[in-house]
Amino acid sequence: ADKISLIPQDFFAELCEQIIQHLNHKIPGINTAELCQRIQTSGIEINAGDLAKIANIFSFLFSTAARNNLSTEELVITLGNAVSTLPKHALQVIRHVWNEQGKSISVSEDARNRASVGQFVDMKWKLGVAMSSDTCRSLRFPYVAVTLSVADPSGQVTDKSFEMSIPQFKNFFRQFKEMAAVLETV
Amino acid sequence: MAAPEQQPPPPEGSKLLSGLLSGIAQTTYYGNADITEELLRGQLYPEAAPEEFRALRAKMGGLLQSIASADMDLNQLEAFLTAQTKKQGGITSDQAAVIAKFWKNHRVKIHESLISQSRWDNVLKNMNWRVDLKSQSRHVDQINTPVAIVEMELGRNGKVGPCERVITV
Repeated sequence: ADKISLIPQDFFAELCEQIIQHLNHKIPGINTAELCQRIQTSGIEINAGDLAKIANIFSFLFSTAARNNLSTEELVITLGNAVSTLPKHALQVIRHVWNEQGKSISVSEDARNRASVGQFVDMKWKLGVAMSSDTCRSLRFPYVAVTLSVADPSGQVTDKSFEMSIPQFKNFFRQFKEMAAVLETV
Repeated sequence: MAAPEQQPPPPEGSKLLSGLLSGIAQTTYYGNADITEELLRGQLYPEAAPEEFRALRAKMGGLLQSIASADMDLNQLEAFLTAQTKKQGGITSDQAAVIAKFWKNHRVKIHESLISQSRWDNVLKNMNWRVDLKSQSRHVDQINTPVAIVEMELGRNGKVGPCERVITV
């Protein structure tokens, strides 16, 4: 709870917004890493792990409340003793967010069915050439480095990075082309 | 081509040197730890004294290292080996020929091995995919949406990594 007090009101509101949108299947994931970076830039000392935990807590809170069709007051009661530990501005945000959007959340079984599959969010790539190394002065090895942003079922977005040699990349590209062709015809 | 100063070594000499170079490549570039110095000496130069063999192995290993590190092409190789034949305590032109032949045959494989020694990040080891069609869903907007599921195996340096399964639409 003390970590929650660190988060300024507008960032906390944004976090809750993202959580609600994720529960409504409007966005694939909650980008806590990106949000954390912005919070840190504004001078607040909070780490991504803590922010992720906080996101999980409120995701659970909101989804439970949605499943049980709680009103705003009932939601606040559910918080129980925690209410006194939460900063006033956080409570305000929770009340506001729930008033506006609480009714619209329909929590489905989908998330549980997709337990082992993450959702693709974004892909970044770069083409590099490894010129030289301690074992070989003249490497001259071109490669493609890719970072995939994937949202796990709880909404947490993580980045997976890997490299491919040019032949490997050509195969990678060909597989996606085949996939795209099949997706068109299905 | 420099005239040999001594009697041309018996064909065995070339075969032995070639064997030595292979053995060096096995440990240094192909990761085969079983090929020890003792093993090589026993198999190829059983009559040689250990220090003598060590010196030979070190010399040949050093030459191979220089060639591999610069990933020499044929021109560079010829210039390099010719210079080595002219050096004090260098190599004979027959040895140069053996080394040249060895490098021509092993260049690509050794270079690839050096490349993989320098790749420390995750590498895409394997990839499988499937296209599903969602026919039923509580969310109307997801009905009849084709979905591609991709399974990627990421790993590094021979270790098997986690399998990432990713859904894309």
